Amino acid sequence: MKSNRFLYVLPLLMLAILAGFFGWSLVSGRDPASIGSALVGRPAPTLKAPALRPGEAALTDALLQSGKPVLVNFFASWCTPCLAEQPLLERLAKKDGITIIGVAWKNKPEEARAWLERLGDPFVAVGYDLDGKMAVDWGLSGVPETFLIDARGIVRLHFRAPILEKDVTDRILPLLRAGGS
Amino acid sequence: MLEFLLALLTAGTVGVLLIPLLRTRLTATSRLDNDLAIYRDQLAEVERERAAGSLSGPDAEAARTEIERRILTAADKDSTPAPKPAAALHRFLPPVLCLLVPAFALGLYLQIGQPGVPSAPFIPQPKAPTGAPPGTPRDAGPSLDQQIASARERLKQAPDDPETLSALGELLTQQAQGVVPQPAVDAFQRALKKQPGDPRALFYLGLHEAQAGDSKAALTRWLDLEARSPEGAPWLPMLRAEIDRVAKQAKIDPLSINPDRKPPSVAATRPPMATSSPMAGMPQPTEEEREAMAKMSPQERQQAIRGMVDRLDEKMRASPDDRDGWLRLANARRVLGEPQKAAEAYAKADALGPLESKQLADWAEAEIRQIQPGTPPSPQAVSVLKRLEVADPDNALALFYLGAASFAQGDKSDAARRWKKLLALLPPDAPIRAMLEEKIKQAE
Repeated sequence: MKSNRFLYVLPLLMLAILAGFFGWSLVSGRDPASIGSALVGRPAPTLKAPALRPGEAALTDALLQSGKPVLVNFFASWCTPCLAEQPLLERLAKKDGITIIGVAWKNKPEEARAWLERLGDPFVAVGYDLDGKMAVDWGLSGVPETFLIDARGIVRLHFRAPILEKDVTDRILPLLRAGGS
Repeated sequence: MLEFLLALLTAGTVGVLLIPLLRTRLTATSRLDNDLAIYRDQLAEVERERAAGSLSGPDAEAARTEIERRILTAADKDSTPAPKPAAALHRFLPPVLCLLVPAFALGLYLQIGQPGVPSAPFIPQPKAPTGAPPGTPRDAGPSLDQQIASARERLKQAPDDPETLSALGELLTQQAQGVVPQPAVDAFQRALKKQPGDPRALFYLGLHEAQAGDSKAALTRWLDLEARSPEGAPWLPMLRAEIDRVAKQAKIDPLSINPDRKPPSVAATRPPMATSSPMAGMPQPTEEEREAMAKMSPQERQQAIRGMVDRLDEKMRASPDDRDGWLRLANARRVLGEPQKAAEAYAKADALGPLESKQLADWAEAEIRQIQPGTPPSPQAVSVLKRLEVADPDNALALFYLGAASFAQGDKSDAARRWKKLLALLPPDAPIRAMLEEKIKQAE
């Protein structure tokens, strides 16, 4: 009979465990959306994509080893957060003089081109990855994602979300000023 | 390679299923043969036992007859005709299914499963017709793309017209779903060069700075614009809301940028309950409601007030002949920042008995607040403003906006006359003087 009574308590116990977990998640400040990145601190993956703007050279690893830190930004014309991020990239390129390499991800090249024409084009070089094969090596989970790669070709930051003002002032610019060169 | 292995596995599975199914059919023996073999054995047994003497003659004879009788019955039963049609289905269905399922899978794989098939969004599609999509009403006005094209066309004739430049910038921003894109920034900057202090260009350039992660520059620009805007300017509510939003997001106190900033008008920020004077016409809450409200958060309080006003609205629609009721409702709507509903209520009250100049001024303000920045006042706004001007010839609101309406209609001399009259009425240090003088210069 004793084991029977225990069976009745079991669902309550499960509920208590679940509630405890949810409560902890709420107050511990853990960000459940953050999946981290395995790339930070490692050499950047291979960059190899055909050029988006006609008549330009294709993207290659040489772009990452120019001796200057660069941002690599994956975007798509169908992606609304990318739209919101675009003025910020523009400003980083124009005002702060940062080299930004763009990759249109799973995006028809002609649509990506029209999109850049409409919004402004902050990229020094821009390619496209129509089937998303190259992005697999970069551990891409979607767009927009942005990587900061230092002068030695090591990934230093990986943003899995649109860049915000605080990312620029608190993380990107300090890093570039401190040891980016 | 993998495909080959999978095919091999499938073939193996089908084979394992098919072989027993086919074999049973090939070796199916008739039941009669089995039965006869048994009966034959039994007859031989009876014979053996009789020879051994364990079975008496008559008993053996009886057993023999019994067995022979069974043989006859069995033979009778077996003479049933060839298998029924249903049996054919039973015999053929399993092997056919065995073959059909893998064949179907193969077809599906070749159609949509193999790795070489392009992703659905990238399959080249027949070009969609360029005209309006079916089902779009014809009178929806020109599309955004058409408006942009026509603005660009106009710029070709007058490359530096600030009005068109600003309009183009605004359209491009609309097209980019509220993001101020680089081409729009260029347009606004050119407009500003031609017409310094243009509120629309300043507003959007500030918005661009906020979007580009420079909140401080945006706030500086906007606070400056706010300080130079005349009280009651139609863009002020939107401007203040944006200042609040960006300041909160960037955690910058507007006063740290512009210490002289006057607190925005009461109706725009504080919940209306906090003050008494603009609340004079509001439906008054009961004692309990008042107590409950004191405990609420500002949002809840705002919602409770809206609920009360909505109840008054319903009551008025049920008994629409109460002119004072309509005026109360109009005032409440105006204080809550719902100019469209306020204007509607003023019109209802006015239909029951003409309004006085103070109420006309409130009505006109409600109409003006609905005007999109950069567009001329609507016909309803103009008719209310005209009545206001008759009732109060020196009303600044009426002079300014009727001037703008005349200007938009091309009657520049009338616009200049009204604006000059307004300029003469303004105190010498009024912040809008410069902008007004600029406008008068344009009208002349």
